[in-house]
Amino acid sequence: MSNILIVDDSSTMRKIISRSLRQAGLAVDNIYEAADGIEGLNALGTSPVDLILSDINMPNMDGLEFVKQARAQGCKAPIMMITTEGGEDIIGEAINNGATGSIRKPFTPDQLQEKLGGLI
Amino acid sequence: MSLNAVVMESAHVHEEDMARFIIDATKEVFSTMMVMEVEDCYPMVEPVNTFHCSITGMVGLAGSYTGILSIHCPALLAIKITSNMLGMEVEEVGEDVNDALGEIANMLGGHVKQVLSKGGLDLNLSIPTVISGETYTVSSLANHDCVVIPFQYDGERFLVGLTIRKESNF
Repeated sequence: MSNILIVDDSSTMRKIISRSLRQAGLAVDNIYEAADGIEGLNALGTSPVDLILSDINMPNMDGLEFVKQARAQGCKAPIMMITTEGGEDIIGEAINNGATGSIRKPFTPDQLQEKLGGLI
Repeated sequence: MSLNAVVMESAHVHEEDMARFIIDATKEVFSTMMVMEVEDCYPMVEPVNTFHCSITGMVGLAGSYTGILSIHCPALLAIKITSNMLGMEVEEVGEDVNDALGEIANMLGGHVKQVLSKGGLDLNLSIPTVISGETYTVSSLANHDCVVIPFQYDGERFLVGLTIRKESNF
């Protein structure tokens, strides 16, 4: 079983991702939520996580900066960007900052299973 | 009510292609996230800028283009959309409905961004804004640079609009 951190400023999207993870049949134990990159970094300091799912476009600290700072703090968990941002350059920047890959919104539980099944 | 030729030439798409792209993106978002099959009624016959008992979700685009992607939805339909999106019964307009409409605008804005900016770094999406009320009017200072597409679901109509301008310094 895995602990998963969802970083997204939309509470609706956090609920959808949580529900979709369970519908996808992934081995989920605890799901932690954060509304921006700053909350995400704070969560990493208090809870052990096996996988991080992060939006890019967020207030206060966006997903690109969150990934960079999480890696700088020594976070080794895979970080998948779940985002509407499909451009090659912006995804490339996320990968350069330490992201593992990306999932495009909208997504289905099957697509989550396909992308995340090998990570947890 | 049409998109500026400069914008379309710069993006290498025709207005009808952009409209078709928005239609396909809207249908994909609704089908995938809400399990709702919506029908488009393009083209728009009469302009609409005043809304009653409605909710509007908007996301701004800034950079090589400036503009707004918006979705205007009657409150009852917005509640239905949010219920389907969350997989639970939502009974009134509130935080969940506002957040859902903002997120739909965000997803549609992401699709439009992909057409206008292949790399993604020259065009930024804003954090979504949501407005709602019994009667309100949405006005653009560049009304001629917009395309609005009506959609129908279960007898109710909602609108998806894109107002956009090419920035000359990019």
